[in-house]
Amino acid sequence: MIEKLSKKDIRALKFGIIGAVAIILFVFGSAGHKRWTKAKANGAVLRTKLDAIDVDKARQAGLMSIVPVFEMPQVEEEQKFLFRDKLSEQLKRAGIRNKPLQVQPGRKSPQSGYKLLLVKCNATCQFVQVLDFLARLNENPYLVGIEEFKIKCDPKKQGEVELDFTVSTFAI
Amino acid sequence: MGIWQSVVAIINDDNEFKGVELRKQDGAFEILWTRSSEDADVDWRGFAAECGLSVEPTALEGTDSDRMIVAGFNTAGTIFHRTTVPAAGDKEIESIIQLQAETRLPLPPEQIELTWRADQLRDEQMGVTIAVARKEQLQKFVGKVRCFKPAKILLNSEGIVKIWEVFFSGNKDNAVVLSTGSHNTQVCLVEEGRLSNAVVLDIGIEDFSAEVTEEQTETTERFAQDMRSVLDLFGCSNQDELPVFVLSDGSASYVSIVSSLRLAGLNARVATPDINGLMAKSELSDEDIYQYRTPIGLALMAFDAGADELNLFERLYIPMQKVAQRHWLYSPKVTVAIVSIMLVLLAIVSYAVDIAGPSSIEKRLEASVSDVDMNLLVKRQQLIKTVTRERPDLLDLLKVVNESGERGITLTSLSFKKGQPVSISGEASSNDQLSRYEKNLQNAKGIEKVNYTANTNAKSRKITFTMTFDYKNFGRKTARSKS
Repeated sequence: MIEKLSKKDIRALKFGIIGAVAIILFVFGSAGHKRWTKAKANGAVLRTKLDAIDVDKARQAGLMSIVPVFEMPQVEEEQKFLFRDKLSEQLKRAGIRNKPLQVQPGRKSPQSGYKLLLVKCNATCQFVQVLDFLARLNENPYLVGIEEFKIKCDPKKQGEVELDFTVSTFAI
Repeated sequence: MGIWQSVVAIINDDNEFKGVELRKQDGAFEILWTRSSEDADVDWRGFAAECGLSVEPTALEGTDSDRMIVAGFNTAGTIFHRTTVPAAGDKEIESIIQLQAETRLPLPPEQIELTWRADQLRDEQMGVTIAVARKEQLQKFVGKVRCFKPAKILLNSEGIVKIWEVFFSGNKDNAVVLSTGSHNTQVCLVEEGRLSNAVVLDIGIEDFSAEVTEEQTETTERFAQDMRSVLDLFGCSNQDELPVFVLSDGSASYVSIVSSLRLAGLNARVATPDINGLMAKSELSDEDIYQYRTPIGLALMAFDAGADELNLFERLYIPMQKVAQRHWLYSPKVTVAIVSIMLVLLAIVSYAVDIAGPSSIEKRLEASVSDVDMNLLVKRQQLIKTVTRERPDLLDLLKVVNESGERGITLTSLSFKKGQPVSISGEASSNDQLSRYEKNLQNAKGIEKVNYTANTNAKSRKITFTMTFDYKNFGRKTARSKS
């Protein structure tokens, strides 16, 4: 039967077959391509999540040395109470008799979705007590960082210092 | 050129086609088959087909890839000439020979083909053997043998000299070798172990057969006379001791030829086959070796890759080279097909991995932590990282500030605030001490941009100072806002 076809017919037939194959490929291929793109996007999101939580041991140890304990932020009122309570406990433990802690609204939070609360503290104490307090400050699970820290000593009063510092915490 | 397993040699001598296939194995030769045809209707193509060679023009190259095919050219119409030339390069010798050929030969240069072979240099002179034949005759021959694509076309007389050397105990450097056929005799002059001249006489063994009992007959006399003329032509007429070897199958006819030559005063002797080192599928007799002496000799020449044969067909026939069969992997089509398949496989695998990967990860995560837990874990980790960047180590700062100062420096205050330089105040005993303190701080890890202002107390002679510096990235507003 093919022998009866002219060269033009055969050429037309070839183009027809190529066109049909192209249509089939386009129909199934575009659906497949969409699925593929979606799967790739899902994969990328998952990989990002995994990268966020999967930190290598050395880096994790580094993080742990700076942030040994951490509690997830609570609503503002609760967080304020928890943080102030823990900070008072740490001051007391260091033997620092401080004036009442003042809670202030903080600057713009470095972490989107969280507020930054500041707690200000004034005290007169021994320098050794300050060192003791600073050494244990990282154990506060609600602490974000020290925003401000001033220490002033009177040469006339041996070992006594005036301490003035502001620490921050996250709140929802 | 590839490595040939065997050689098929075909000749047409005395109007009879003869062919042999010779194989070389472990230094020994083996005749695989012999074939001859006296049928007048058979031509080169027909005989080659009988010998199992492909003679179709469309036959694929390499059909006879394991065996080399050689055609023998009868040198009846070929003129040999011996000359000496001074030591020179190949091009100069070629020019000299062309010039000699033009002056000596009766035909114009365009109607002849010549080839030459130089001997070793002696006394600044070089002996050269020249072979000349009519171009038309050679072209006709090529037309006849082209059908079976011979790899070489060799001169029959060279084949005779070769078999004489190998299987007829030809151990003389200079000799005359007679190869007697049914109706003619090939006379070859061997000098320095190689053919240097050849003539065909039209007296054959059949002419002697009838006269075998009468030694001094007209034929023998004519033969002896012809031989004297040939030796004269060869320039050996005065060399009485020059050995003349008559190749023989051992029959009495050849003895009578030798006798007639001896009577004519020539140093003639019979040379019979010595088939040590020659094997065959069936038992070989001296007659068999003698009958196929020329094709066997040509096959032996073909095996000798370093042989410097006289090639009259150099410009007229370009043989097909044995093309080493390329591996199918080298085919561009196969390569393209493999690459296409690999690409398709790569696409399929990538697709499968991308489709299956996330779902498998999700399944594994679901098995260990819930989606909520997962998000919480991510958030917690991100918060910890943020806190790490926000938390200065003030204990470390106090330690550095304290260790950098030497005895005599008293610090009265320290002030740290994010986004601002750290400021320290105190007293020093001298400017040098203060300067060293600044330098030490500058060299301390995490501290940079150290500046200070100082005043001298007139009463106590103490220097009060205020020093500022950046501690890590906490003093930079831009860095802080970035973090």
